[in-house]
Amino acid sequence: MLSGSKTSFKIQQHPPGPALRGPKSSDMNSKRNRNGQAFPCIPGEHVLEEAARVRKIVRSRDGEGSILGTLYCTNLRVAFVPEPAPGDTVGAPRCSTCLHSEHDVALPCIGRLVAVNSFTKAKVLTANSTLKFIPEELVLYCRDFRVLRFRFRDSGLEPRACQVTLAIVQAQESSNASAGTWYDSGAIRNLENAWLSTEESLSPPTLLFERPCDWEKELRRLGAAGWRVSPVNERFDMATSLPKYLWVPSRLLDNELKRAFGHFNARRIPRLCWHHPGGSDLLRAAGFHADSDPEKEDVRSVEALMLAGHAQCVIVETAADLPSPAEIQLSYLKLRALCLPDSSVADEKWLSALEGTRWLEHVRACVRKASEVAALLAERSRSIVLQESDDRDLNCLLASLVQVLSDPHARTQSGFQSLLQKEWVVAGHPFLQRLNLLRDNDREESPVFLLFLDCVWQLLQQFPASFEFTETYLVALHDSSYIPFFSTFLFNCQWERDRRNQHRASNQIYAPVNGWRELPPLEILQKGGRLAKERGGPYLPTIWDWALRYTTQQRAQFRNPAYARGSGSTTVPNGKSAPLGGDKLEGALSGNRAVYLFAKGALSPQTHLFPWKNGSLSKKGWWRAQSSESLSEQDRSLRSKPSGCPQQPEGLLLPASAGPLIRLWRRCYLRGSQEVQRGLFASTLAELAEELDRLRKQLGD
Amino acid sequence: MGGVNYVTRRRAALQPEEPDEESWEELVPPPPSCPLAGTAAGSWGGREAPGAMLGKGAGGSGAKPAKPSFVSYVSPEEIHIKEPIEKELNLHLLPGELLLCEANTVLKCVQEDGSNRGTYGKLICTNFKIAFLGDESASDDNEPEFKNMIIGENDITLHCIDHIYGVYDEKKKSLSGQLKKYPEKLIIYCKDLRVFHFCLRYTKEEEVKRIVSGIVHHSQTPKLLKRLFLFSYATAAPTNTDIQNQTVMFDAIKDWREELERTKGNMKYKVLSANEAYKVSEKLPLYFVVPMSLSEESILQYQGRGIPIWCWSCHNGASLLKMSAFPKEQEDSTSQMHKIFLDGVYKTINKPPYEVLKTDDLSSSLPSLQDIQAAYTRFKQLFLIDNSTDFWDTDVKWFSLLESTNWLEIVRRCLKKAIEVVEYLEGQNTNILLVEENASDLCCVISSLVQVMMDSHYRTKFGFQSLIQKEWVMGGHCFLDRCNHLRQNDKEEAPVFLLFLDCVWQLVQQYPPAFEFTETYLTVLSDSLYIPIFSTFFFNSQHQKDANMPGDGHNAQSSHFRFLTVWDWSVQFEPKAQVLLNNPLYVEKPKLDKSQRKTTRFKHQRQLSLPLTQTKSSPKRGFFREETDHFIKNILGKRISKLINSSDELHNNFTEFYDSWHCKPIDFHGLLLPHIEGPGIKVWAQRYLRWIPEAQLLGGGTVATATKILDMIEEVQSLQKKMDEKHSRTVPQGREALPMLRNSARLSSLFPFALLQRHSLKPVLPTSTWKDLEDEDDLAKRDDEFVDLSEVI
Repeated sequence: MLSGSKTSFKIQQHPPGPALRGPKSSDMNSKRNRNGQAFPCIPGEHVLEEAARVRKIVRSRDGEGSILGTLYCTNLRVAFVPEPAPGDTVGAPRCSTCLHSEHDVALPCIGRLVAVNSFTKAKVLTANSTLKFIPEELVLYCRDFRVLRFRFRDSGLEPRACQVTLAIVQAQESSNASAGTWYDSGAIRNLENAWLSTEESLSPPTLLFERPCDWEKELRRLGAAGWRVSPVNERFDMATSLPKYLWVPSRLLDNELKRAFGHFNARRIPRLCWHHPGGSDLLRAAGFHADSDPEKEDVRSVEALMLAGHAQCVIVETAADLPSPAEIQLSYLKLRALCLPDSSVADEKWLSALEGTRWLEHVRACVRKASEVAALLAERSRSIVLQESDDRDLNCLLASLVQVLSDPHARTQSGFQSLLQKEWVVAGHPFLQRLNLLRDNDREESPVFLLFLDCVWQLLQQFPASFEFTETYLVALHDSSYIPFFSTFLFNCQWERDRRNQHRASNQIYAPVNGWRELPPLEILQKGGRLAKERGGPYLPTIWDWALRYTTQQRAQFRNPAYARGSGSTTVPNGKSAPLGGDKLEGALSGNRAVYLFAKGALSPQTHLFPWKNGSLSKKGWWRAQSSESLSEQDRSLRSKPSGCPQQPEGLLLPASAGPLIRLWRRCYLRGSQEVQRGLFASTLAELAEELDRLRKQLGD
Repeated sequence: MGGVNYVTRRRAALQPEEPDEESWEELVPPPPSCPLAGTAAGSWGGREAPGAMLGKGAGGSGAKPAKPSFVSYVSPEEIHIKEPIEKELNLHLLPGELLLCEANTVLKCVQEDGSNRGTYGKLICTNFKIAFLGDESASDDNEPEFKNMIIGENDITLHCIDHIYGVYDEKKKSLSGQLKKYPEKLIIYCKDLRVFHFCLRYTKEEEVKRIVSGIVHHSQTPKLLKRLFLFSYATAAPTNTDIQNQTVMFDAIKDWREELERTKGNMKYKVLSANEAYKVSEKLPLYFVVPMSLSEESILQYQGRGIPIWCWSCHNGASLLKMSAFPKEQEDSTSQMHKIFLDGVYKTINKPPYEVLKTDDLSSSLPSLQDIQAAYTRFKQLFLIDNSTDFWDTDVKWFSLLESTNWLEIVRRCLKKAIEVVEYLEGQNTNILLVEENASDLCCVISSLVQVMMDSHYRTKFGFQSLIQKEWVMGGHCFLDRCNHLRQNDKEEAPVFLLFLDCVWQLVQQYPPAFEFTETYLTVLSDSLYIPIFSTFFFNSQHQKDANMPGDGHNAQSSHFRFLTVWDWSVQFEPKAQVLLNNPLYVEKPKLDKSQRKTTRFKHQRQLSLPLTQTKSSPKRGFFREETDHFIKNILGKRISKLINSSDELHNNFTEFYDSWHCKPIDFHGLLLPHIEGPGIKVWAQRYLRWIPEAQLLGGGTVATATKILDMIEEVQSLQKKMDEKHSRTVPQGREALPMLRNSARLSSLFPFALLQRHSLKPVLPTSTWKDLEDEDDLAKRDDEFVDLSEVI
């Protein structure tokens, strides 16, 4: 009975029926408003306050207007439910998603609340503020750059306006205080289950990389012959922040592998991200652990991991050219201030103000570095290790960006989603800290993920025919990162995700006051790992279930009509002829290997893999260890690319990162301000596609 | 020392060719009129011979030959082999074009990385252009598909040259006048933003002297109008009498009458033929339109000054007018007379049906021409890249550099002014009179912008061309002076027309479906400013053109002499290339049924929902007197219009109008207002970045989706056709397809200009990546350079 089709799932229009609610229907705390319509609560949600006949001010392609509806404040979100237009046939599905992507704001996503009354100044509301007037208009500045405006009726004489406003303020405050609220809403999974069955068949599935078969499948797709999936971290006992499964060289046994962990920060060892069909391998790793000493210890396993059987290894110092998370956050705050509609920057000073945020500078640095690494990968067979001190922020960004550039598969929607799962979600990007959704530590906040999405957007606008998805999709992805209903962005690593989800399932045995991050590792190992394994997957939905928040029409806009599948969507790029695995190993074993360090746009040769070969970890020695005797030969092949033939490896995107070509992602950052993006090239193309469909149908009839 | 030795060997290998070169010269002797011989010989002694310099280096005595700035990628054998081909690649001369001087074995450098990689060829200078005849275009299989038939990829018309620099011992110096010393390298900055580097180190001294002084002389020295290539071309070119042209030229009284009728201005305005034989003014066209009530005497009194001249009428009857102001007078009596005259003019027209007239003195409310010129000079500098390193260094500061040029701000102010004018016409139903000293610079910009925004006819290709004819060519914009085609007076130079094109580009990129033409059209049009075979942009006024027709003044019809107009695009482009000028996604105007037309005014759908201001205008009548005073004061140059402009009321009207328009749905055939907020104004990337290799994206840019669009349009059309066959309706005309987009697998984002950049792939590691290693690299190369380098090309 849960397999209700999409059309039968119309929460707004129908009173709650057993078919929709499922086993947990008793949780449904729906409240009827005056029109006799129920607000579609999700399980665990209850309405705190509501105001009817509120006008939501909207801007669209058709200009500015307003929608009449009811504004709700619940313990989870601020929601707006439009009244059915008089012309609508009763019961027609206005909105067929249970969370509305346009009208809803999750409480943690609210950045600033402003009450406006024509007689007083606009007032920014905080938990301590009292409201001395009845607001005419309520403006919600969201952290995802949206600005929602609600106008109450009777211009300032509606008492409910006051109540609902204060309720929102308090709800927001209390949601910040009690982080647990979100997990309590975990029963959303029941809704989700009903949904998935209808959606799954349409597109190729997103690999979640939670089970070994996903890793195996992807490894096969890459054709990485010398690699295997290692379950060495299956119980998170090697490194809690790493995924359960790792791609490691086939020749390396698990017990050899175990010796490598200690040499890296947070025990995050080098592991394969992507295999270039030309033979190169892209790896990522944390920095070398300061306490480990290669003089005394056995580092052969580390060497084997990093060289991965190649004769040449390039270590990419990820942090060298890229901004730190703190710098990213600083730019982001400036950018947000600049892009808000009430920004006071004069039009003629806009450009220098934009430059002053340094956001685009950071975007440029990422795009440039990624294209440099992609070129190194394509150029000859070698192993490239991205090394960042904790391997959880910019390594995620760089590793995934390089793959977007190099692998056409990563430019399809399912490929991109799988990529995000692999390089961000299970790889342990601390989303919870970085997005700071629960507002528990502002110092760790940094929109590294948004920076990545911006980089992808730059590529999308530079290569509009090379991506299966659109700008709309990227915006939706960005928005979703601020919605705490999904497991994807709600945790710092896979271990936490598993633990939290199993935790919910086992009826709250343990509810720590300060959240679950303080759990002693032992407990994790004993309970978390095992239980998570038994349950086999997360319970909160992932954001990849787009149908939860986006209607079919909205999702149709995720697909890029200009996408040229011909540019190699399933085939991986063809580089130079792939050397055989045996050969590579031969070279590595014969000691005829070369190690280079790539930083600040330059390759420099190294004598050793490790910076601390002679005692302490000396930066200097690491930097320029050696004169470049054998370098020119390596170097030549890259530099003197034959002029006269503009061919580049098929499937590889070489973006431009010059000043004028890195642009502001207006659809995302400026959507709150007066300006709405209109007359886009893509949108007219979409119209053309629509017309084509219509004509085809008509002819088919 | 290997590198230097190599160089000498190379030179030795070239020796046998020299007889060939000699014979080439015999074939085409320099014209006797060539004024160079004297100067060249005179300055001969001042220059150290290149051979001597090389000899020094080869001898090993030189202390610092360490940095060989020349690395050849062409082996001597190759040059030898290529030579015959180069000969066949004969120079394509236009009718009337004369070869003036030439130089052989010139190395055209690929500028991207500062190294001296490049191709050898012959550099020539004619009375029309500078051309480089390299061997590479012949060996190249794929002909550029978007080819200009007049200007090749290595051609620079003399008018397109912006600056010439010579490089002496690594130092760049501007070249002009008489030269004492000849540079080893020539850098030419073009007005279409190309940058050419010609290395002359391997050219014979004699030829260097000739070519350098020839180029400098013919491009930099002041010219007489009659010496423009335009005239030689028009005399020598076969006359093509039957030119199909739908562009309205506005050189006949009928064109003006039809325009009045089209805009329904014929109730209040009349066409005058008083200026036939230029009796009224040489600045005015033969025919122009004035308010009906204006008497002939007043028109004649001040040679057309102080007379409101009609530009365009709005659907509601409000009109856009322009007027040349009186110059500032010192004498009170003269200024008093002007005041009385203007008063009289105003009284005649300030009665029904003209109603309210608002004046706007553009010379005080917009930047001066000097400001515009200064801003553009700074702006274009951002894109004239000598080498990549410069370019990369500017990245971090890009936006503030851009802002500090002030060019985008000027674009913004022009658009804003145009919106203000639109607001008066559309929102307040007020006639508006633009005032400027000669009414031929900013008046042209604003009045044509207003018309592009308000009248969808001007957003079609022919409409836009007609508009340029009406407001610019006939409106007496001094193209000759503003473009400084004759190099007579640098102070008059100002890129006013480019400013207009940039403003239009902003509109095009914000509302692509509203325009029948593409940005490529605008780019190509901007390039045509410097091609002296079209008369369109080479005269200051219609009078000047007529006066300079050979023979009997303006009675040119009888002779076979005829100027080409730039609007005949077939002169420059093949039909398949012309397709790129048309926007495939242009939303064509729906053809309304007659019944519908009565009820709704589709064309101006948008303002129907605006507050009706027609009734509002009555309170304004109250301060008619004040308005008159302002009007007169403005025109007398007292510049107090700032007071009016800064008044709150005006500002509010403007923002309300602007905001409310942007809240309404867009009608691509109605009024169009651009976004002018900070992020709304952008750099016209296609024009300014098209020659920069770093900006090139292979397989990227909008062109990547163009193929898809064309496929889809084709499919839509074929399906429509099928449907029509079913319902037996008439079949709509299909659009021309773009074969060149189809068959080329991967185009670059710089298409259609990109193909010219085809030897410049190196987008990935352009930064400092290899910079640090360059020295070692050179060392390595010096040893085994032969093998290695010859493989590269």
